[in-house]
Amino acid sequence: MKVSFPYMGSAIVYKKLFEFLEHEVIMPPKPSQRTMDLGVKYSPEFACIPLKMVMGTYLEAIEKGAKVLVTSGGHGPCRAGFYGDTHRNILKSLGYDDVEIIIFDAPQDNWRAFFRNVQKIRNGVPWHKVINRMYTLYRFVQKLDELEKMVQKIRPYEVNKGQTTQIWNQIQEKFDKIKTRKQLYKVYEECKQMLLNIPTREVDEKDRIKVGIVGEIYVVMESSINFGIEEILGNLGVEVERSLYLFEWINDNLVPWILRPKRFKEIIKKGQRYIKILIGGHAVETVGHIIDFKERGFDGIVHLMPFACLPELVTQSLIPKISKEVDIPILSLPIDEQTGKANMLTRIEAFVDLLRNRKRGKTKEVFIDNIQEHVQEERVVMV
Amino acid sequence: MEKKEILNSMKIAIPHSLLYYYYFPLWDTFFKELGFEVVDTGPTTKEILDKGAKAAVSDICAPIKIFTGHVIEGLKVADYVFVPRFARIKKPEYFCPKFMGLPDIIEGTVEESKGRVISPIINEKNNENISSLRVYEIVAEMFGFSHREIRLAIKRAEEVFERFKKLMYGGLSCEKALESYKTGRWEEDLEKIKKDGDVTIAVLGYVYDVYDSFISMDVIKKLEALNVNIKTFEMIPQKVAYDNLKHYRKRLFWTFSNRVLGAGLHYLKDPTVDGIIHVTAFGCGPDAIVGRFLQYESDIAGKPFTTLRVDEHTGEGHMVTRIEAFVDMLRRKKWAKVSEVLQK
Repeated sequence: MKVSFPYMGSAIVYKKLFEFLEHEVIMPPKPSQRTMDLGVKYSPEFACIPLKMVMGTYLEAIEKGAKVLVTSGGHGPCRAGFYGDTHRNILKSLGYDDVEIIIFDAPQDNWRAFFRNVQKIRNGVPWHKVINRMYTLYRFVQKLDELEKMVQKIRPYEVNKGQTTQIWNQIQEKFDKIKTRKQLYKVYEECKQMLLNIPTREVDEKDRIKVGIVGEIYVVMESSINFGIEEILGNLGVEVERSLYLFEWINDNLVPWILRPKRFKEIIKKGQRYIKILIGGHAVETVGHIIDFKERGFDGIVHLMPFACLPELVTQSLIPKISKEVDIPILSLPIDEQTGKANMLTRIEAFVDLLRNRKRGKTKEVFIDNIQEHVQEERVVMV
Repeated sequence: MEKKEILNSMKIAIPHSLLYYYYFPLWDTFFKELGFEVVDTGPTTKEILDKGAKAAVSDICAPIKIFTGHVIEGLKVADYVFVPRFARIKKPEYFCPKFMGLPDIIEGTVEESKGRVISPIINEKNNENISSLRVYEIVAEMFGFSHREIRLAIKRAEEVFERFKKLMYGGLSCEKALESYKTGRWEEDLEKIKKDGDVTIAVLGYVYDVYDSFISMDVIKKLEALNVNIKTFEMIPQKVAYDNLKHYRKRLFWTFSNRVLGAGLHYLKDPTVDGIIHVTAFGCGPDAIVGRFLQYESDIAGKPFTTLRVDEHTGEGHMVTRIEAFVDMLRRKKWAKVSEVLQK
């Protein structure tokens, strides 16, 4: 089967998945302006940007020859659970009757449909091989995420501008070639060393600025849609951590309930201080992560959301209150096809300036009393 | 009796927005039975809209902005304001996330609401009447009622609501049924429905879009003035609507979206219905999906379909022009068909 899939975060992971199942993989092109234009043209006007972007990706993948598109459905009241059906509907009206979309919903909603889908994409590979390879993939994601976290901590302090990003690209290429678990561990060690060898400048702990990125999963994970915000922040000398990594998402959503790490439950509990029940999407997690980042000593939060995203609008309504009560500056950025890069850049730069001033003010406040008042006034919530 | 007197001086405001149009008879009866004074914040005005739009997040949909405005207004005149948290009334469906987080949104945007919001969680497996004790336990807790008192009030409220639903299934729109409830005329109104219009249009959309005079600009009244017969989703019992959705891979996540879509499919099959108007608010998430499905199905059925999308900035003139053009088109189409038959 000529299989393709939408982009979200490290697409090599999905590529690996289908390679392990011995499919012919059609790698969709990295989302670009053309992808966006195609998606916007054929999607409902008021759908959110992930739907449009994925629509564009599908059309480009079909151009390259894809016959089967695999995607996730999800459960709960966020619209994303219906994207697969909407896409199918659009593709049909465009005349692509021979393209099949396989949608994976949460297994607990309909076990039978879930296993039917599994059988379809298993492609006749014997079960013991499937299980073995899936475990390899699980570790693959874990190692890749670990390296990405390192990249985010090294980039702000690199001596030669752009070197970390360059090495990160090399790492991804290396990972792309991995076939077995043994290779994986070896490549991982090599890559780790490559990152540790990057010359960095010493920065005092009190001058380090840390920003947490929270929000809806697609815009947080997919760099082509958030203008590479992690890189932008890194180049401004800011350490970054996302609320979502693929590995953690797998642990939270695909690993059986009993084996799940406690962390997920703790985050939900923190989020429920402001949103009492789970309302779909990542709204409660977003709030939970904001509080968690603050407790871990982060200096600011960037909140990303697709324009008119249902659950995140609830979060956005609460942001001024949270920012005030938890005492952390939050920059909320809605993204859609109209969002301009220059505008984003300006806002992010201004935000980082604010964080820096705030931090400097705080360290001085031991010596000069009235500076604290000044800082208090300056603490603006940018929404 | 003493408690009733104290409560009589206590006012509870029910915001005239969102699911007010569907559930007001139920809530009104319930609180009155318990001895509260119920304050209806009245139809949306420009002032309410502006206040809400100012307090709410700018990207949020117009219905939520309007609701926020009603809450602000309600807090001025009443001691408490009723902001239910709608999670679900049918398994495995839910409400739009904004309904599920509504009290949180209000707490985040309206400062004076602190401690003055009654927000029961409506989380029912299959109960459109939202009449279980669990839902209103919070009222018992807040004001010290016994479970028996609450249960009696619910029972009475449910009876009223059943009667109200019957009016809608009989052919009254939600708004007219509400009027019948308020005036106490009840079934008398059903007999007055006259259907002499030459075209029939199904106006589909959520009650808070269709009946809010600011969001829909009274589209129904305007259509009726053009001598058009109206059908709406409330006129179709839940079961019938769902039967029409059977061929879908899975149902939508949102209960009222399913009912709108199901009613749409029902009316597409109904030969007396000539066209469909989908009323939706700018930025409505579920409607991006529902609208797309309705359009797709109308194309297949070959029935004219149009969308009226409105927000707080939409001008009235442009709406009227579009409605008139749509009705004209339906009439011409119908007459062309009639003359074709006559010529044969």
